Amino acid sequence: MIDKSAEELIVDSVKARFPEEVIEAKVQRKNRVSISVRNNRIYDVGLFLRDELEFDHIASVSGVDYIDMNEFEVIYYVWSINKKVLVGLRTKIPRDNPVLKSLVDVWEGVLYHEREVWEMFGIKFEGHPNLSLLLLPEDWDGPPPLRKDFVLPETHQERLEEKIKKLSSG
Amino acid sequence: MSIMKLSIGPQHPISAHFRFLLDVDGDVVLKLEPDVGYTHRGIEKLAEKRTYLQNLPVIERVNSYCDSAGTMLGYLEVIEELMGLEVPERAKYLRVIAAELNRIASHLYAASLFSVATGLETMLMWPINDRELILDLLERLTGQRITYTYQTIGGVRFDMPDGFKEEALKRLDYLEKRTEDYYKMLLWNHTFHMRTKKVGILRPSDAIKLGVVGPNLRASGVKVDVRKDEPYEVYDRFDFSIPTGKNGDSYDRLEVRFKEVGQSINILRQALKDIPKGPIKKWVPPIVPKGEAYTRVEAARGEFGYHLIGDGSMKPYRLKISPPSFRNLIALPHLCQNIPLADVPIIYISLDLIPMDVDR
Repeated sequence: MIDKSAEELIVDSVKARFPEEVIEAKVQRKNRVSISVRNNRIYDVGLFLRDELEFDHIASVSGVDYIDMNEFEVIYYVWSINKKVLVGLRTKIPRDNPVLKSLVDVWEGVLYHEREVWEMFGIKFEGHPNLSLLLLPEDWDGPPPLRKDFVLPETHQERLEEKIKKLSSG
Repeated sequence: MSIMKLSIGPQHPISAHFRFLLDVDGDVVLKLEPDVGYTHRGIEKLAEKRTYLQNLPVIERVNSYCDSAGTMLGYLEVIEELMGLEVPERAKYLRVIAAELNRIASHLYAASLFSVATGLETMLMWPINDRELILDLLERLTGQRITYTYQTIGGVRFDMPDGFKEEALKRLDYLEKRTEDYYKMLLWNHTFHMRTKKVGILRPSDAIKLGVVGPNLRASGVKVDVRKDEPYEVYDRFDFSIPTGKNGDSYDRLEVRFKEVGQSINILRQALKDIPKGPIKKWVPPIVPKGEAYTRVEAARGEFGYHLIGDGSMKPYRLKISPPSFRNLIALPHLCQNIPLADVPIIYISLDLIPMDVDR
Protein backbone atom coordinates (compact mmCIF):
# COMPACT_ATOMS: atom_id res chain seq x y z
CA MET A 1 0.00 0.00 0.00
CA ILE A 2 1.28 3.41 -0.89
CA ASP A 3 1.49 5.92 1.95
CA LYS A 4 -0.75 8.89 1.43
CA SER A 5 0.40 12.41 2.09
CA ALA A 6 -1.13 14.51 4.86
CA GLU A 7 -2.99 16.55 2.25
CA GLU A 8 -4.62 13.49 0.67
CA LEU A 9 -5.62 12.12 4.07
CA ILE A 10 -7.38 15.39 4.86
CA VAL A 11 -9.26 15.30 1.57
CA ASP A 12 -10.29 11.69 2.16
CA SER A 13 -11.54 12.22 5.69
CA VAL A 14 -13.56 15.30 4.72
CA LYS A 15 -15.12 13.44 1.80
CA ALA A 16 -15.92 10.44 4.00
CA ARG A 17 -17.54 12.55 6.72
CA PHE A 18 -19.51 14.87 4.42
CA PRO A 19 -20.33 12.96 1.22
CA GLU A 20 -23.35 15.14 0.42
CA GLU A 21 -22.17 18.56 1.48
CA VAL A 22 -18.74 18.63 -0.10
CA ILE A 23 -18.94 19.60 -3.76
CA GLU A 24 -15.25 19.27 -4.43
CA ALA A 25 -12.19 18.52 -2.31
CA LYS A 26 -8.75 18.40 -3.82
CA VAL A 27 -5.04 18.81 -3.17
CA GLN A 28 -3.86 21.92 -4.98
CA ARG A 29 -0.16 21.46 -4.30
CA LYS A 30 2.08 20.66 -1.36
CA ASN A 31 0.64 22.27 1.81
CA ARG A 32 -2.55 23.43 0.02
CA VAL A 33 -5.98 21.82 0.16
CA SER A 34 -9.16 23.25 -1.31
CA ILE A 35 -12.58 22.19 -0.03
CA SER A 36 -15.70 23.49 -1.68
CA VAL A 37 -18.94 23.02 0.27
CA ARG A 38 -22.63 23.89 0.03
CA ASN A 39 -23.28 27.21 1.71
CA ASN A 40 -25.83 25.91 4.25
CA ARG A 41 -23.36 23.42 5.77
CA ILE A 42 -20.17 25.47 5.97
CA TYR A 43 -20.50 25.79 9.74
CA ASP A 44 -20.47 22.02 10.30
CA VAL A 45 -17.55 21.45 7.96
CA GLY A 46 -15.71 24.25 9.76
CA LEU A 47 -16.30 22.61 13.13
CA PHE A 48 -15.12 19.28 11.77
CA LEU A 49 -11.94 20.86 10.38
CA ARG A 50 -11.21 22.55 13.69
CA ASP A 51 -11.98 19.69 16.06
CA GLU A 52 -10.98 16.59 14.12
CA LEU A 53 -8.32 17.80 11.73
CA GLU A 54 -6.51 20.41 13.86
CA PHE A 55 -7.08 23.41 11.61
CA ASP A 56 -6.63 26.03 14.28
CA HIS A 57 -4.94 29.12 12.93
CA ILE A 58 -7.09 31.40 10.78
CA ALA A 59 -5.14 33.05 7.98
CA SER A 60 -7.57 35.02 5.88
CA VAL A 61 -11.14 35.38 4.67
CA SER A 62 -11.48 36.41 1.05
CA GLY A 63 -14.58 37.44 -0.78
CA VAL A 64 -14.71 37.18 -4.55
CA ASP A 65 -17.37 38.69 -6.80
CA TYR A 66 -18.11 36.45 -9.80
CA ILE A 67 -20.49 38.87 -11.44
CA ASP A 68 -20.83 36.84 -14.66
CA MET A 69 -22.14 33.84 -12.75
CA ASN A 70 -24.19 36.06 -10.43
CA GLU A 71 -22.63 34.72 -7.25
CA PHE A 72 -20.14 35.51 -4.53
CA GLU A 73 -17.50 33.17 -3.26
CA VAL A 74 -16.29 33.31 0.34
CA ILE A 75 -13.05 31.53 1.15
CA TYR A 76 -11.79 30.84 4.67
CA TYR A 77 -8.08 30.12 4.69
CA VAL A 78 -7.05 28.19 7.77
CA TRP A 79 -3.59 26.92 8.62
CA SER A 80 -2.89 23.86 10.69
CA ILE A 81 0.14 24.44 12.88
CA ASN A 82 0.73 20.72 13.49
CA LYS A 83 0.07 19.41 10.00
CA LYS A 84 1.52 22.40 8.17
CA VAL A 85 -1.33 22.48 5.66
CA LEU A 86 -3.41 25.44 4.56
CA VAL A 87 -7.02 24.66 3.77
CA GLY A 88 -9.20 26.90 1.64
CA LEU A 89 -12.77 26.29 2.81
CA ARG A 90 -14.90 27.83 0.11
CA THR A 91 -18.54 28.27 -0.60
CA LYS A 92 -20.67 30.07 -3.16
CA ILE A 93 -23.71 32.16 -2.35
CA PRO A 94 -26.20 33.85 -4.69
CA ARG A 95 -25.55 37.48 -5.44
CA ASP A 96 -29.16 38.57 -4.86
CA ASN A 97 -29.33 37.15 -1.35
CA PRO A 98 -25.81 37.14 0.10
CA VAL A 99 -26.27 35.61 3.54
CA LEU A 100 -23.92 33.15 5.22
CA LYS A 101 -23.69 31.71 8.70
CA SER A 102 -20.84 33.34 10.59
CA LEU A 103 -17.94 31.16 11.68
CA VAL A 104 -17.03 33.33 14.68
CA ASP A 105 -18.00 30.47 17.00
CA VAL A 106 -15.65 28.15 15.16
CA TRP A 107 -12.62 30.38 14.79
CA GLU A 108 -12.72 33.46 16.97
CA GLY A 109 -10.08 35.09 14.81
CA VAL A 110 -12.45 35.64 11.88
CA LEU A 111 -14.15 38.48 13.77
CA TYR A 112 -12.51 41.34 11.86
CA HIS A 113 -12.04 39.35 8.66
CA GLU A 114 -15.80 38.80 8.35
CA ARG A 115 -16.49 42.43 9.18
CA GLU A 116 -14.21 43.42 6.33
CA VAL A 117 -15.90 41.06 3.87
CA TRP A 118 -19.26 42.43 4.99
CA GLU A 119 -18.36 46.05 4.32
CA MET A 120 -16.44 45.36 1.11
CA PHE A 121 -18.91 42.92 -0.50
CA GLY A 122 -22.15 43.37 1.41
CA ILE A 123 -22.24 39.72 2.46
CA LYS A 124 -24.21 39.34 5.68
CA PHE A 125 -22.82 36.97 8.29
CA GLU A 126 -25.61 35.61 10.44
CA GLY A 127 -24.64 35.40 14.08
CA HIS A 128 -21.75 37.84 13.84
CA PRO A 129 -21.76 39.98 17.01
CA ASN A 130 -20.82 43.30 15.45
CA LEU A 131 -21.26 43.94 11.74
CA SER A 132 -20.22 47.58 11.51
CA LEU A 133 -17.88 49.52 9.28
CA LEU A 134 -14.26 48.72 10.00
CA LEU A 135 -12.00 50.24 7.36
CA LEU A 136 -14.41 52.44 5.42
CA PRO A 137 -15.18 55.98 6.64
CA GLU A 138 -17.90 56.14 9.26
CA ASP A 139 -20.14 58.25 7.01
CA TRP A 140 -19.85 55.83 4.08
CA ASP A 141 -23.22 55.25 2.42
CA GLY A 142 -22.21 54.00 -1.03
CA PRO A 143 -22.45 50.45 -2.30
CA PRO A 144 -19.87 47.87 -1.15
CA PRO A 145 -16.71 48.97 -2.96
CA LEU A 146 -15.08 45.67 -3.83
CA ARG A 147 -18.08 44.49 -5.86
CA LYS A 148 -17.33 44.44 -9.54
CA ASP A 149 -20.26 46.70 -10.43
CA PHE A 150 -19.00 49.45 -8.13
CA VAL A 151 -18.39 52.53 -10.26
CA LEU A 152 -15.16 54.25 -9.39
CA PRO A 153 -15.35 57.99 -8.99
CA GLU A 154 -13.79 59.70 -11.99
CA THR A 155 -10.09 60.13 -11.74
CA HIS A 156 -8.17 63.36 -11.92
CA GLN A 157 -6.87 62.33 -15.32
CA GLU A 158 -10.38 61.92 -16.74
CA ARG A 159 -11.47 65.18 -15.22
CA LEU A 160 -8.43 66.91 -16.66
CA GLU A 161 -9.03 65.48 -20.12
CA GLU A 162 -12.65 66.57 -20.05
CA LYS A 163 -11.63 70.07 -19.09
CA ILE A 164 -9.13 70.22 -21.93
CA LYS A 165 -11.78 68.97 -24.36
CA LYS A 166 -14.21 71.62 -23.22
CA LEU A 167 -11.62 74.37 -23.45
CA SER A 168 -10.47 73.37 -26.91
CA SER A 169 -14.01 73.01 -28.30
CA GLY A 170 -15.46 76.15 -26.78
CA MET B 1 -19.57 52.50 39.79
CA SER B 2 -19.68 54.86 36.84
CA ILE B 3 -18.30 53.88 33.48
CA MET B 4 -16.82 56.62 31.39
CA LYS B 5 -16.41 56.37 27.63
CA LEU B 6 -13.07 57.64 26.44
CA SER B 7 -11.80 58.25 22.93
CA ILE B 8 -8.05 58.45 22.32
CA GLY B 9 -6.78 59.42 18.88
CA PRO B 10 -7.00 59.39 15.91
CA GLN B 11 -4.05 61.78 15.64
CA HIS B 12 -1.14 59.64 16.72
CA PRO B 13 -2.31 58.29 20.10
CA ILE B 14 1.00 56.45 20.39
CA SER B 15 2.15 55.97 16.87
CA ALA B 16 0.31 56.67 13.63
CA HIS B 17 -3.41 57.14 12.96
CA PHE B 18 -5.48 54.97 15.17
CA ARG B 19 -8.30 55.46 17.64
CA PHE B 20 -9.08 53.66 20.86
CA LEU B 21 -12.60 53.69 22.24
CA LEU B 22 -12.32 52.80 25.89
CA ASP B 23 -14.74 52.03 28.68
CA VAL B 24 -12.97 53.10 31.85
CA ASP B 25 -13.92 52.90 35.47
CA GLY B 26 -11.55 55.22 37.26
CA ASP B 27 -8.14 54.01 36.19
CA VAL B 28 -9.26 50.59 35.03
CA VAL B 29 -9.92 49.84 31.39
CA LEU B 30 -12.91 47.53 31.13
CA LYS B 31 -13.15 47.28 27.38
CA LEU B 32 -11.21 48.55 24.41
CA GLU B 33 -12.58 48.85 20.91
CA PRO B 34 -10.01 49.71 18.23
CA ASP B 35 -11.23 52.08 15.56
CA VAL B 36 -9.14 51.67 12.42
CA GLY B 37 -9.42 52.81 8.84
CA TYR B 38 -7.88 56.26 9.03
CA THR B 39 -5.23 55.28 6.50
CA HIS B 40 -7.40 53.10 4.28
CA ARG B 41 -6.34 53.55 0.68
CA GLY B 42 -8.35 50.83 -0.99
CA ILE B 43 -5.28 49.02 -2.25
CA GLU B 44 -7.22 45.83 -3.05
CA LYS B 45 -9.55 47.76 -5.36
CA LEU B 46 -6.69 49.75 -6.85
CA ALA B 47 -4.87 46.52 -7.63
CA GLU B 48 -7.78 45.32 -9.78
CA LYS B 49 -7.57 48.43 -11.92
CA ARG B 50 -3.84 48.31 -12.63
CA THR B 51 -1.55 45.87 -14.38
CA TYR B 52 0.64 43.52 -12.38
CA LEU B 53 3.69 45.67 -13.05
CA GLN B 54 1.93 48.92 -12.22
CA ASN B 55 0.87 47.34 -8.95
CA LEU B 56 4.42 46.88 -7.68
CA PRO B 57 4.81 50.31 -6.07
CA VAL B 58 1.19 50.25 -4.87
CA ILE B 59 1.46 46.93 -3.05
CA GLU B 60 4.70 48.03 -1.44
CA ARG B 61 2.82 50.83 0.27
CA VAL B 62 0.69 48.42 2.27
CA ASN B 63 3.48 48.65 4.78
CA SER B 64 5.83 51.16 3.32
CA TYR B 65 7.80 52.84 6.03
CA CYS B 66 8.92 49.73 7.83
CA ASP B 67 8.97 46.67 5.71
CA SER B 68 8.40 47.25 2.02
CA ALA B 69 10.81 44.53 0.88
CA GLY B 70 9.05 41.84 2.90
CA THR B 71 5.63 43.03 1.75
CA MET B 72 6.63 43.00 -1.88
CA LEU B 73 8.12 39.53 -1.70
CA GLY B 74 4.72 37.96 -1.02
CA TYR B 75 3.12 39.66 -3.99
CA LEU B 76 5.89 38.44 -6.28
CA GLU B 77 5.70 34.95 -4.83
CA VAL B 78 2.00 34.65 -5.63
CA ILE B 79 2.43 35.93 -9.20
CA GLU B 80 5.37 33.67 -9.84
CA GLU B 81 3.49 30.68 -8.48
CA LEU B 82 0.65 31.28 -10.94
CA MET B 83 3.10 31.80 -13.80
CA GLY B 84 5.15 28.79 -12.78
CA LEU B 85 8.21 30.98 -12.99
CA GLU B 86 11.61 30.12 -11.61
CA VAL B 87 13.69 33.15 -10.67
CA PRO B 88 17.49 33.19 -11.26
CA GLU B 89 19.51 32.04 -8.25
CA ARG B 90 21.34 35.28 -7.71
CA ALA B 91 18.06 37.21 -7.72
CA LYS B 92 16.68 34.93 -5.01
CA TYR B 93 19.65 35.69 -2.79
CA LEU B 94 19.39 39.41 -3.45
CA ARG B 95 15.69 39.31 -2.58
CA VAL B 96 16.44 37.58 0.69
CA ILE B 97 19.19 40.08 1.49
CA ALA B 98 16.84 43.03 0.94
CA ALA B 99 14.06 41.40 2.98
CA GLU B 100 16.30 40.52 5.91
CA LEU B 101 17.93 43.94 6.02
CA ASN B 102 14.43 45.36 6.07
CA ARG B 103 13.45 43.06 8.91
CA ILE B 104 16.34 44.36 11.01
CA ALA B 105 15.38 47.95 10.25
CA SER B 106 11.78 47.25 11.16
CA HIS B 107 12.60 45.57 14.47
CA LEU B 108 14.95 48.38 15.46
CA TYR B 109 12.20 50.84 14.72
CA ALA B 110 9.80 48.83 16.85
CA ALA B 111 12.30 48.84 19.71
CA SER B 112 12.70 52.59 19.59
CA LEU B 113 8.93 53.16 19.66
CA PHE B 114 8.67 50.73 22.55
CA SER B 115 11.21 52.73 24.53
CA VAL B 116 9.22 55.91 24.00
CA ALA B 117 6.09 54.27 25.37
CA THR B 118 7.99 53.23 28.48
CA GLY B 119 9.62 56.63 28.88
CA LEU B 120 13.21 55.52 28.28
CA GLU B 121 14.04 58.02 25.61
CA THR B 122 17.73 57.32 25.19
CA MET B 123 16.68 54.11 23.56
CA LEU B 124 14.56 56.13 21.15
CA MET B 125 17.69 57.49 19.53
CA TRP B 126 20.04 54.50 19.60
CA PRO B 127 18.06 52.02 17.49
CA ILE B 128 16.87 54.79 15.15
CA ASN B 129 20.47 55.76 14.64
CA ASP B 130 21.55 52.19 13.96
CA ARG B 131 18.56 51.66 11.70
CA GLU B 132 19.98 54.43 9.57
CA LEU B 133 23.07 52.29 8.93
CA ILE B 134 20.83 49.56 7.56
CA LEU B 135 18.75 51.99 5.51
CA ASP B 136 21.96 53.38 4.10
CA LEU B 137 22.97 49.87 3.03
CA LEU B 138 19.58 49.39 1.42
CA GLU B 139 19.98 52.69 -0.37
CA ARG B 140 23.26 51.49 -1.86
CA LEU B 141 21.58 48.29 -2.97
CA THR B 142 18.29 49.66 -4.22
CA GLY B 143 18.61 53.41 -4.61
CA GLN B 144 15.96 54.21 -2.00
CA ARG B 145 15.81 54.41 1.76
CA ILE B 146 12.23 53.32 2.42
CA THR B 147 10.22 52.29 -0.64
CA TYR B 148 12.49 50.30 -2.89
CA THR B 149 10.46 48.68 -5.69
CA TYR B 150 13.65 46.67 -5.91
CA GLN B 151 12.29 43.21 -6.34
CA THR B 152 10.32 42.84 -9.53
CA ILE B 153 8.52 40.08 -11.42
CA GLY B 154 11.21 37.66 -12.54
CA GLY B 155 14.05 38.90 -10.36
CA VAL B 156 15.46 42.12 -9.00
CA ARG B 157 16.21 45.39 -10.73
CA PHE B 158 19.83 46.05 -9.79
CA ASP B 159 22.85 43.99 -8.91
CA MET B 160 24.94 44.52 -5.79
CA PRO B 161 27.27 47.51 -6.15
CA ASP B 162 31.02 47.11 -5.70
CA GLY B 163 32.16 46.91 -2.11
CA PHE B 164 28.62 46.27 -0.82
CA LYS B 165 29.45 42.89 0.63
CA GLU B 166 32.41 44.12 2.69
CA GLU B 167 30.54 47.15 3.93
CA ALA B 168 27.48 45.07 4.84
CA LEU B 169 29.54 42.56 6.81
CA LYS B 170 31.29 45.36 8.67
CA ARG B 171 27.99 46.92 9.66
CA LEU B 172 26.49 43.61 10.70
CA ASP B 173 29.46 43.03 13.00
CA TYR B 174 28.91 46.43 14.52
CA LEU B 175 25.20 45.76 14.95
CA GLU B 176 25.85 42.45 16.65
CA LYS B 177 28.10 44.11 19.19
CA ARG B 178 25.65 46.93 19.56
CA THR B 179 22.89 44.53 20.60
CA GLU B 180 24.76 44.07 23.86
CA ASP B 181 24.30 47.76 24.56
CA TYR B 182 20.59 47.41 23.91
CA TYR B 183 20.38 44.67 26.48
CA LYS B 184 22.22 46.77 29.05
CA MET B 185 20.22 49.87 28.29
CA LEU B 186 16.75 48.43 27.88
CA LEU B 187 16.20 44.73 28.36
CA TRP B 188 18.12 44.37 31.62
CA ASN B 189 16.86 47.70 32.91
CA HIS B 190 14.90 47.39 36.13
CA THR B 191 12.48 50.20 35.23
CA PHE B 192 11.74 48.51 31.95
CA HIS B 193 11.09 45.20 33.68
CA MET B 194 8.63 46.85 36.03
CA ARG B 195 6.73 48.40 33.14
CA THR B 196 6.61 45.42 30.81
CA LYS B 197 6.91 42.12 32.66
CA LYS B 198 3.57 40.43 33.27
CA VAL B 199 1.85 43.17 31.27
CA GLY B 200 -0.44 41.95 28.51
CA ILE B 201 0.11 38.23 28.86
CA LEU B 202 -1.08 36.40 25.75
CA ARG B 203 -1.46 32.69 26.39
CA PRO B 204 -0.39 30.39 23.54
CA SER B 205 -3.84 28.82 23.20
CA ASP B 206 -5.44 32.26 22.92
CA ALA B 207 -2.81 33.44 20.48
CA ILE B 208 -3.56 30.53 18.15
CA LYS B 209 -7.31 30.84 18.57
CA LEU B 210 -7.26 34.54 17.71
CA GLY B 211 -4.99 33.99 14.74
CA VAL B 212 -2.10 36.12 15.99
CA VAL B 213 1.03 35.88 13.82
CA GLY B 214 4.71 36.66 13.71
CA PRO B 215 6.90 37.67 16.63
CA ASN B 216 3.79 38.14 18.80
CA LEU B 217 2.82 34.50 18.34
CA ARG B 218 6.38 33.31 18.89
CA ALA B 219 6.67 35.37 22.05
CA SER B 220 3.83 33.27 23.45
CA GLY B 221 5.94 30.18 22.88
CA VAL B 222 4.44 28.90 19.63
CA LYS B 223 7.15 27.99 17.18
CA VAL B 224 5.67 29.08 13.85
CA ASP B 225 7.67 30.70 11.11
CA VAL B 226 6.81 30.56 7.41
CA ARG B 227 10.51 30.62 6.57
CA LYS B 228 10.79 27.19 8.20
CA ASP B 229 7.30 25.77 7.59
CA GLU B 230 7.11 26.53 3.90
CA PRO B 231 10.54 27.77 2.83
CA TYR B 232 10.28 30.23 -0.03
CA GLU B 233 13.10 31.73 -2.11
CA VAL B 234 16.27 30.20 -0.62
CA TYR B 235 15.43 30.12 3.09
CA ASP B 236 15.77 26.34 3.22
CA ARG B 237 19.52 26.68 2.61
CA PHE B 238 20.28 28.79 5.66
CA ASP B 239 20.99 27.63 9.13
CA PHE B 240 18.98 29.69 11.60
CA SER B 241 16.72 29.18 14.57
CA ILE B 242 13.30 30.50 15.55
CA PRO B 243 13.49 32.44 18.82
CA THR B 244 10.48 32.02 21.09
CA GLY B 245 9.40 33.58 24.37
CA LYS B 246 8.24 31.91 27.56
CA ASN B 247 5.59 34.09 29.16
CA GLY B 248 4.01 35.88 26.24
CA ASP B 249 4.09 39.26 27.97
CA SER B 250 5.12 42.60 26.53
CA TYR B 251 8.71 42.07 27.57
CA ASP B 252 8.92 38.79 25.69
CA ARG B 253 7.48 40.35 22.59
CA LEU B 254 10.33 42.84 22.47
CA GLU B 255 12.99 40.32 23.41
CA VAL B 256 11.91 37.98 20.61
CA ARG B 257 12.36 40.85 18.17
CA PHE B 258 15.89 41.47 19.40
CA LYS B 259 16.71 37.80 19.07
CA GLU B 260 15.28 37.82 15.57
CA VAL B 261 17.64 40.62 14.64
CA GLY B 262 20.46 38.28 15.68
CA GLN B 263 19.04 35.52 13.45
CA SER B 264 18.66 37.94 10.54
CA ILE B 265 22.31 38.90 10.89
CA ASN B 266 23.06 35.19 10.84
CA ILE B 267 21.06 34.66 7.62
CA LEU B 268 22.58 37.72 5.97
CA ARG B 269 26.12 36.52 6.63
CA GLN B 270 25.35 33.18 5.03
CA ALA B 271 23.56 34.79 2.11
CA LEU B 272 26.40 37.22 1.44
CA LYS B 273 28.89 34.37 1.57
CA ASP B 274 26.99 31.92 -0.63
CA ILE B 275 25.56 34.26 -3.22
CA PRO B 276 26.26 32.78 -6.68
CA LYS B 277 27.17 34.67 -9.82
CA GLY B 278 24.74 34.89 -12.67
CA PRO B 279 21.84 36.83 -14.14
CA ILE B 280 19.58 38.82 -11.83
CA LYS B 281 16.42 39.04 -13.91
CA LYS B 282 14.42 36.95 -16.28
CA TRP B 283 12.31 38.59 -18.93
CA VAL B 284 8.67 37.67 -18.46
CA PRO B 285 5.51 38.50 -20.38
CA PRO B 286 3.28 40.85 -18.38
CA ILE B 287 0.35 38.41 -18.49
CA VAL B 288 -0.53 36.05 -15.66
CA PRO B 289 -2.44 32.89 -16.65
CA LYS B 290 -5.87 31.96 -15.39
CA GLY B 291 -5.83 30.41 -11.95
CA GLU B 292 -5.75 30.89 -8.26
CA ALA B 293 -3.00 30.81 -5.66
CA TYR B 294 -2.41 31.65 -2.02
CA THR B 295 1.09 32.27 -0.78
CA ARG B 296 2.49 33.20 2.58
CA VAL B 297 5.70 34.98 3.46
CA GLU B 298 7.20 35.92 6.78
CA ALA B 299 7.54 39.69 6.81
CA ALA B 300 8.96 41.58 9.78
CA ARG B 301 5.62 41.85 11.58
CA GLY B 302 4.53 38.34 10.77
CA GLU B 303 2.91 36.34 8.08
CA PHE B 304 1.68 38.08 4.94
CA GLY B 305 -0.96 36.20 2.99
CA TYR B 306 -1.66 36.94 -0.66
CA HIS B 307 -4.61 35.43 -2.46
CA LEU B 308 -4.57 36.08 -6.18
CA ILE B 309 -7.12 35.16 -8.82
CA GLY B 310 -5.86 35.69 -12.34
CA ASP B 311 -8.18 35.74 -15.36
CA GLY B 312 -5.52 35.50 -18.04
CA SER B 313 -5.23 39.23 -18.58
CA MET B 314 -2.70 41.84 -17.51
CA LYS B 315 -4.70 42.78 -14.43
CA PRO B 316 -5.56 40.71 -11.35
CA TYR B 317 -9.21 39.68 -11.10
CA ARG B 318 -8.95 39.73 -7.34
CA LEU B 319 -6.04 40.30 -5.01
CA LYS B 320 -6.70 39.76 -1.34
CA ILE B 321 -4.00 40.89 1.04
CA SER B 322 -4.00 39.53 4.55
CA PRO B 323 -1.43 41.62 6.41
CA PRO B 324 0.07 40.67 9.78
CA SER B 325 -1.02 43.76 11.69
CA PHE B 326 -4.65 43.20 10.69
CA ARG B 327 -4.45 39.74 12.16
CA ASN B 328 -2.67 40.92 15.30
CA LEU B 329 -5.21 43.69 15.83
CA ILE B 330 -7.69 41.30 17.44
CA ALA B 331 -5.21 40.67 20.27
CA LEU B 332 -5.46 44.29 21.39
CA PRO B 333 -9.08 44.23 22.71
CA HIS B 334 -8.42 40.74 24.03
CA LEU B 335 -5.49 41.92 26.16
CA CYS B 336 -7.00 45.24 27.20
CA GLN B 337 -9.61 43.98 29.64
CA ASN B 338 -9.45 44.97 33.29
CA ILE B 339 -6.02 46.52 33.10
CA PRO B 340 -4.72 49.91 34.27
CA LEU B 341 -5.06 52.65 31.67
CA ALA B 342 -1.29 53.22 31.73
CA ASP B 343 -0.72 49.72 30.34
CA VAL B 344 -2.67 50.37 27.14
CA PRO B 345 0.21 52.12 25.31
CA ILE B 346 2.63 49.41 26.41
CA ILE B 347 0.43 46.64 25.08
CA TYR B 348 -0.35 48.51 21.88
CA ILE B 349 3.29 49.18 21.10
CA SER B 350 4.40 45.69 22.11
CA LEU B 351 2.11 44.20 19.45
CA ASP B 352 3.93 46.38 16.91
CA LEU B 353 0.74 47.27 15.04
CA ILE B 354 1.15 49.52 12.05
CA PRO B 355 -2.14 51.21 11.13
CA MET B 356 -1.16 51.42 7.46
CA ASP B 357 -0.73 47.70 7.47
CA VAL B 358 -4.09 47.17 9.17
CA ASP B 359 -5.98 49.43 6.81
CA ARG B 360 -4.38 48.76 3.42
